[in-house]
Parts: sequence; C-alpha cells; structure tokens
Amino acid sequence: MLPLVSITLFLPLVGAVLILCLPRPTARTVHGIGIGTAVLTLAGALAMWLEGVSSAGFSQVEELEWIPAIGAAYRVGVDGISLPLVLLSAVMFLVAFIFTSSLRERPRAYVVLVLLLETTAIGTFTALDGILFYVFFEVSLVSMYFMIAGWGHEERQRAALMFFLYTLLGSLPLLLAILGLYLGSPELSFDMRAWIANPPLEGAAAMWALIAMLITFAVKIPAVPLHTWLPAAHVQAPTVGSVILAGIMLKFGTYGLVRFALQMTPGAFREAGIVVLIFGVVSALYGAFAALAQTDLKRLVAYTSINHMGYVIVGVSVAALTLDPSVRTVALDGAVLQMFSHGLVTGALFFLVGMIQERAHSREMGEFGGLLKTVPLIGWSFILAAFASLGLPGLAHFPAEFQIFLGTLGSVPAAVVVVLGIAIIAGTFLKAIRETFLGEPRQRWHAMPDLSKRELLAVAPLLVLTVATGVAPSWVLDVIHRTTSSLVL
Amino acid sequence: MGRDLALLTPEIAVLLTAVGALIAEMLRRPRISLALAAAGLLVATSLTVPLLGTDTTVFGGSFRIDALSIWAKLILLPATVLSLLLARNDIGGTVREGTVYSLICLATFGALVLAGAGDVMFLVLGMLLTSLATFALVAYPDDDPATEAAMKFFVFGSVAGAVMIFGLSYWFGATGSTLLTDLARTDAMPLAAILGLVAVVVGLGYKASLVPFHFWAPDAYEGAPLSIAAYLSVVPKVGSLFALTQVVRDLPVDSGWPAVMAGLAVLSMTYGYLAALVQDNVIRLLAYSSIAQSGYFLLGIVAVGSSELALPSIILFAAAYAAMNLGAFAVASATGRTLEEFSGLGRARVLTGIAMVIFLLSLVGIPPLSGFVGKFLLFAAAIDVQFTWLAVVAIINSVLSLAVYLRIVMPMYRPAETTTVAPATWPGVVVMITFAATLIIGLAAQFFLAGR
Repeated sequence: MLPLVSITLFLPLVGAVLILCLPRPTARTVHGIGIGTAVLTLAGALAMWLEGVSSAGFSQVEELEWIPAIGAAYRVGVDGISLPLVLLSAVMFLVAFIFTSSLRERPRAYVVLVLLLETTAIGTFTALDGILFYVFFEVSLVSMYFMIAGWGHEERQRAALMFFLYTLLGSLPLLLAILGLYLGSPELSFDMRAWIANPPLEGAAAMWALIAMLITFAVKIPAVPLHTWLPAAHVQAPTVGSVILAGIMLKFGTYGLVRFALQMTPGAFREAGIVVLIFGVVSALYGAFAALAQTDLKRLVAYTSINHMGYVIVGVSVAALTLDPSVRTVALDGAVLQMFSHGLVTGALFFLVGMIQERAHSREMGEFGGLLKTVPLIGWSFILAAFASLGLPGLAHFPAEFQIFLGTLGSVPAAVVVVLGIAIIAGTFLKAIRETFLGEPRQRWHAMPDLSKRELLAVAPLLVLTVATGVAPSWVLDVIHRTTSSLVL
Repeated sequence: MGRDLALLTPEIAVLLTAVGALIAEMLRRPRISLALAAAGLLVATSLTVPLLGTDTTVFGGSFRIDALSIWAKLILLPATVLSLLLARNDIGGTVREGTVYSLICLATFGALVLAGAGDVMFLVLGMLLTSLATFALVAYPDDDPATEAAMKFFVFGSVAGAVMIFGLSYWFGATGSTLLTDLARTDAMPLAAILGLVAVVVGLGYKASLVPFHFWAPDAYEGAPLSIAAYLSVVPKVGSLFALTQVVRDLPVDSGWPAVMAGLAVLSMTYGYLAALVQDNVIRLLAYSSIAQSGYFLLGIVAVGSSELALPSIILFAAAYAAMNLGAFAVASATGRTLEEFSGLGRARVLTGIAMVIFLLSLVGIPPLSGFVGKFLLFAAAIDVQFTWLAVVAIINSVLSLAVYLRIVMPMYRPAETTTVAPATWPGVVVMITFAATLIIGLAAQFFLAGR
C-alpha cells in the first residue's frame, strides 16, 4: 500500500526543494517543474478520490511517531468533508501554475512559495493531529505574506503586513483552544480523532474553547465584522494569490468550523448556535450588499466571497442547532458542497478579473463597456461564472445553497431571510455584466486580445467542473454524504 | 568525593579550557587559543552526553546534576563555541584576542554554575563569575561606546549583585542553611521568604535582562562587539533563567512567587516588544527582542513544580532560543547594524536571506520552527497551572512581535541598492549551523522530552 495521502501532501514540497537546489534555473524550467509537480499532486488526489472514504470516521489514515512524550504524532487521513477539499486544492493549484507560467519577475521564488502553499493547503485538510493542523494552518500565512508583499500591486507592503498581523492574531486563539482540548483529553494526546470521538471539554471550558475557535475561523472565513482584511488583501494580491486566497484559504476557516467547532465542542456549539447563525446571516447579507456597492471588479468578487461563506456558516450552525439527523445531513451536505463550489466559481472569477486587469490596468467597471464584442471568450466565461455565483440552477452553487436553505427551513425557518442575499448577488452581477461587457464597445479597448491558450487552459477546467457539479452534483455529494449522514454529534 | 568529581568532569573541562586558552594567549598564539577553547568546549559537551538521565546532587546537595544543569551544558557549550567563531570575525587580529576567548569560557563556566545551583552560595558564585568576565568582554574594544556600555553594565551589575547577596542573607537567617532544598522551611517566616525572593529576582533578573532590570542591555549590546552581544543574549541569560528555575523549584507555592513571575513575564514581553517596535538599529532591536523572549521563559517557570510540562518546555525553548537568536546575530554580524544595511539582503544573498527570515519567524513562534514548539509547550505549561490569562497575554505579544521582526524582513526584499560584499567565513558558518538547528530542534522535539 502506497501512503497516498503523504505522497500527495509532500509532493509540492519536494518540487519546491528541487527548484531551490537547481543552480540558476531558467523561468521555463521553474514553471515546468511547478506544473509537473501540480499534475502529479492532482494525480495523487485523484488516486485518493478513487480510494474513497468509508462511512465511519476517517479513511486512508497514515500515522508516524513524532513527539510521543506529549502525545503528538504525524497523523493524516481523509473523510467525506476533507476529501473534496483536497481534490479542489489539487485542481486549483494546477490551474494556478498554468496561469502563472508567463511570469518573468523572480519566477523561482514565486513558484516555490506557491508550491509551499499547496503543501500547507492539502496538509490543513488532511491533518488529524492538533499540532500538525496548526502547523499547516500557520505556514500558509507565511507564504501568502511573501506572495502579496513580493508580487502584489501598489500598496502591497501595507496590505501584506495587515494580512499577516490580522490573520496571525486571528489564528492564535485556535492555539489556545488546541491546548485546552489537549489538556482536557484523558490520555493527553493531540489526536483529533480522539477529540472528535469523545469531546474532551464540557461546560464553561468548552464554551471558551469554542469562542476561541470561532474567533480564529471567523477571521479566516471571513465573517462580518472580522472581514476587513479581505478586500484589502485581495485588491493588492497578485491574481494567483487572490485565486488561492479565495478558492482555498477561506475554506480553512469553514473546514475548521466543521472539524473543530462542530465536531469537538458540539454541546457548546449547540448552545451558541443561534449566535453563530446570526453572524452567518449578517455576513451573507452584508457581503451581498457590500458587493452591490462596489465598482471595482476585484473588490466586488471579494465581497461575494463573504456572502457565499456566510451561507456556509448558516449551514453549519443549522446543523449544530437541529436535533433531526436528516436535517443536519442536508445542511452539512450543502455547507461542504458550497465550499467546493465556491472554490471553483470564485477561482474562475478572480482569474477573469485578473486577465482584464492585466490587459487594461484597471478594474473599474465604469471604464469598460461592450467588452463582450472585443473579447467574447473572456466575456462569456465571466458571464457563466457570474451566473454560477448568483446561484443559477444547473451550475455549481445551486445544489449547495438549495440544501443549505432546505436545512434552514427544517430547523430555524426565520433564518431563511438569508435567501435575500441571492437576489442581491444576482443584481450585483447583472450590473457588473451590463457595465463591463454589454453596450457599445469603447474605442480604447479595441485592441484588447482575447483569451490566450494559457489562460484558456487555466479557466476552462474550472468552468467545466462548475457545470459538472451543477448538473450532476452526485459525484461530489456522494462522498460528502457518506460522512455527513453518519456524523454523531 | 571521587564520585562527585567524576560527575563534574564537564565543568572541570570548561575550567581547564579557559586556563588553556589563557596560557596560549600568554604565549601570543591567539589562533591556538581559539582552537583550544573551541575544542575544549566540544570535549566538555561530549563528556556531558553520558550524564543524560542522571538526577542527583554533589557536594552535599549544593550542586545539582539534573535535567536542567545537563541540558544547560548541552545547549550553552555549543552556543559558546558559535560565539567564539563570531568573536574571531569581530576581534580577530586585535592585541589581546586570546583573552576574549578565555574570558568567554570563564563566563560560560559561571553560567553553568548558575544553571546547576543547589545552594545560594553557588548562585552568588555563578553570578560573580559571569558578571566579572562579561564586564571585561563588553569593555574590550576600548573605545567610547564600549567603555560607556561596560560602565553601565558594571554599575547595574554591582548594585544588583549587592542587593542579591544582601537579600539572600535573610534566607540564610530564616532557614539556617544555604541549601535551596531547605527553603521550604521559610514557610514560618513569610517576610524573610519574600525579601529573599525579591533579592534573587533582582540579581538573576538583571542577568536575564527581565524588565524592570533590563536597562543596561540595549546599551551594552550596542556598545559591545557584536559577537559579545550575541553571547550575552544567550549564555548568561539562559544560565540565570535556569538558576531561577532551580530556586523556585524549592520555594513554597503559597509564598506567591508564581504571581511575581507572571507579572515579570507580562512586563518583559510587552515592554520588550513595544520598545523594539521603534528601534532603527538592528542590534538594539534584537536586544529588546531578547528582553521580551526572557519573558516567555517565565511562562514555563511559573509552572515549575506544578506541571510536568514546565521543565521540558523551558529546556526546549532554551535550545530553540539559543539557535535562533545566535543565528539572527550572526546574520547581523555578516550584514550590518542598521535596518538600512539590511536593504536588499534577501535578493543579493538568497540563502542568508532565507536563513534570516527563518530565524525571525522562529522568534515569532511560527510553526513548524523550533521557536514555535518551544513557545507552544510554554503556553501549555502555563495553561496547565491555570495561568491561561498569561498565555493569552503571551499570544497577543506574539502578534506584536511579528510586527517587530517584519521590520527587518521588509527592507530585506526591497530591490538591492548597493552590492553587498561577500560575507566573512565564520558568520556564514554560524548562520548555517544555527539555521539547521532552528529547523531541526522543532521536528526533533522528542529528543529533548525523552527523559520524561
């Protein structure tokens, strides 16, 4: 038996070390190694997908002693909640490498950072040890900091510093919660499986741990009012940075919300569920309204992320609140699928906005108009992705949001006001499409080139998967469902 | 007696090394002096290895051969060797080069005496040994800044030393014994216990540059040769923090010492980082950072005696701290003393740049670097004894520290303005060794905890 999870997890790191060891490699070699590693990683993730998950607990678990004196070990494995996110990461990073292959400004450092980020992303989703999880969770910040600081736009130093400080301040409470869980566990172990099987804390201690975790994950997700770092970071980050930040790293927060908050302090979460639910509803609505007010395309997409992640919070808190297992399953199915769909759709949107910015050096919708005639491929791709983002049936977000709302109706019907968000997001995107792509083409954009082959290769897989997930969600949903349907809280 | 001496072979080796280095200097053979010092300390290190796992005392309980004193040798002796290599770069070719090597060995001997102290007389002895040797080391360059630095250091040191000796007399008066293990008897006389504790905190706090006894540190670090600053920030500091650990192990908890330590920890961490935030001189910045890092040690000391995690966390963090702090000083030694001189470093010298980033992130406590594992265990120890609020304060300070250390990182990746000269050999070697140690100590944490 090959240790598939570990191979998939460390392949990008091996690629990064390889690039660092080469004396003065050309940009071509560097990008070649980057893409090659990402292809192999995707192959690993697909092999994990074929291996599948069992209905109870974690599958494909790999364990190695690390610090037995304090009960920490290298433990990785997947279940139906993490496996789709691993696959999503592998896909997103591959298209990111394809997109970035034209970069000529210090490509070596850039590719190394993205590869490091890929290992941390897969590591965060597969870690089954508290310390290991925290290690991956934090190292991702370092790579993202250097990506924004080194290759971002005008105000990048400030944005990068703010991003790093904000999210470090956000993630340290999780460290306290992990320590609390550790000191509360009977055999003093960092094994997350044990924490899930027998939640070690109860009463006030569990509530404090939950609050600490909620702070961490709310910053990461991000939930209103802890979201202020997100638009700033996105606007300054390079395109690939934005794609990974929104497509993968926001899921660290929602994944943690399920894995840690919901599974390790279920009792406290049930008590505080209504508060979390309110935060989710507020986030979703606030994100939608804020998106509506934007004229900068990148900020607009960034705010729609807050809206979509708000739905995930709603789904998870509904699952915590309800006593009916079938409602819980529906809500969780929706929440996890929403993470997967959001990665694909928002990734595509950030790519397309990035392409427009590279061509026009502007992201203001008011400056465009009629782009559909000059760059039809970019235009139609954007329209498809935007329709997916506003929840059109047949595209990726629909089955996810539908199930979240269904679950909400089944337990806290009042919270269904969150559906309003869909209407507002629809308005937002229709406005963006009208101002940017419809109308008479402007003279100054006549020479704008359409999608190059490289850009097509980056966007097309995401759009294909968006449609595939929308039309036949069962290929992902079956995997998710296997775990969520047997979840005991 | 024979058994006692056999257990003390590493200390004896260090002392002989200091004498040997001095003799070589008298014969005007500074290189031999350096080689002798380095080799002697490494021999002493290897003599310590077989002692691992021993837990006993010598000389009637007045000196301890336990985890603390053994790990002090395993951490501080290699750290001293690295400081010697840095010193060669700083003061190589000056008139009395060899005396520096000899004095460094003597100061290390003092730090080891502190780390194993089981008796107040050993505390005093260790304190005097390190102080006298380091005063001379700081003053060595014989220029105005160094003389001023040494003067401040000396005045502070003498007062702190006098207060400590005076206060310790209360402990002796209360217990009728100089052994630390008899401190439990101070239960009956709380006032004497407190006066003694205050005195020890003043004396050791000064050595460890804890706030509010830290005032000498930034000036002394800035005026002294860089290698001596690096040395001061690691060896005497860790030695005195270990001594503090030895003392509080035997103090009754109800004398309130954990609260005192927690207060000092908060002051040191917060003040250290706030002051570091406004420094433009890298050495002063690192000096304030090392003040703050002392505060983190106290998180573990708070838990001594009540949590099993306390001693391992202190030891592991000491090893991590020695590696990352020496590394950061070594990079400074190869680069310069002001933030401007760091401009473009990361682009001009890629590996040194990566190493510096790793050292600084490890000082922040970013995983999986050694600084993270150390701080993680320190936090766990503090939480384990119900000092959760202290861990929260430490965590907030970690965020502050990120802002501090990023002030060095940010200019490093600006487009290079000047072509930097090729780095000297020895700092380069030290950077590589400490770089490897910073990466490995975290992953190999089990090695430090195995004795539990």
